[in-house]
Amino acid sequence: MPEPVTGGSAETGEARREADRELVRRAQQGDKEAFETLVRKHQGRVFAVAGGILRTREDVEDIAQQVFLKAYFSIKRFDQRAAFSTWLYKITVNECWDLLRKKKVRPLLYEADLNEEQAHAYQSTEDGNECAPDVSERLEAREQLDQWLECLDEKDRTILVLKEVQGFTVEEIAGIMGLNGNTVKVRLFRARQRVAERIRRKKRAASV
Amino acid sequence: MNNPGIRPECEELLNALEELNIEEGVTEAEVLSSLSMQPRQHAMECEECRSAVADRVTTRAALAPMKETLPEPGPWFGARVMAAVQTAENEIEEKRDGVWIGVRRLAPRLAAFAALLLVLGGTWAMEVRRREATLEGPEKRPVEGLFETTPNTVTNDDIVASSSEGVRP
Repeated sequence: MPEPVTGGSAETGEARREADRELVRRAQQGDKEAFETLVRKHQGRVFAVAGGILRTREDVEDIAQQVFLKAYFSIKRFDQRAAFSTWLYKITVNECWDLLRKKKVRPLLYEADLNEEQAHAYQSTEDGNECAPDVSERLEAREQLDQWLECLDEKDRTILVLKEVQGFTVEEIAGIMGLNGNTVKVRLFRARQRVAERIRRKKRAASV
Repeated sequence: MNNPGIRPECEELLNALEELNIEEGVTEAEVLSSLSMQPRQHAMECEECRSAVADRVTTRAALAPMKETLPEPGPWFGARVMAAVQTAENEIEEKRDGVWIGVRRLAPRLAAFAALLLVLGGTWAMEVRRREATLEGPEKRPVEGLFETTPNTVTNDDIVASSSEGVRP
């Protein structure tokens, strides 16, 4: 049975970074195939990072595309002091926050319609389709998670999700968020306290 | 964490806790047993650190299912990005060319307009000179014949030279 608790592995990470450095150098010289390779390598993680912050699939896809477009047109200015992945996820987080801020200002403009998943779930329920529960369950699970994380500001929420869901290290999170490692640790500690307290309170209320 | 308000033992445990990759479903006891002896012992004695371990386990368990709800890119996503890149590059190219296309289209008209201005300007200048010459009359115009010299003009040097000799011009 595999160890449930393990330390991190740095070796494969270094090889990955070196491969990225070479692809970035080629992309900076105008090699589109190299850039496309970078897209395919990192698209999953970009989707995951955006998905941890945004709620709908459409938003995640749009933001992910925007992120790679920005990366393409800024890549010549990227000096490779940080890892390409850190730089890319930083752009992702900033683009997500920008969208959330726009939505706060104009909520009706952005959330008037159901997203595709929600529409499919409601439509299937009306038609008596047996596939509906799967989608509805996922939506419910996500709703529950969002409720637990509601008590956190967007920065703390992002940090916690990057750590607990995506498995980023403290150093990686510090690079993405532009904070130092100690600040990330303190924020994680406080964020976990708040979320754990909220979960315990809800469970106590549910059991009464 | 280099936090001045925190005891070194607590800091050691919290740092060790942060380094651990905790899988879903892991219990508090399993986390404690994976720590080295000193932090583990401290966690038994310190209420706050014990809570920190419990909080870590609770949030990890609560958030782990989020991974299943995260969208994944479709197989076409890479192609969609490169198509968007191409479209954006074409738009930039068109904007740049747009300025020069405008200049090239207007060039013949600009050239004709410039030529017209030159002709009109030249004609006007000649007309002005001709009128001035007519108004002045023949006496006023200096006559320069083949055998006549030009009239002497008095310069400052002459005046200075003359005044020094006591002769006025």
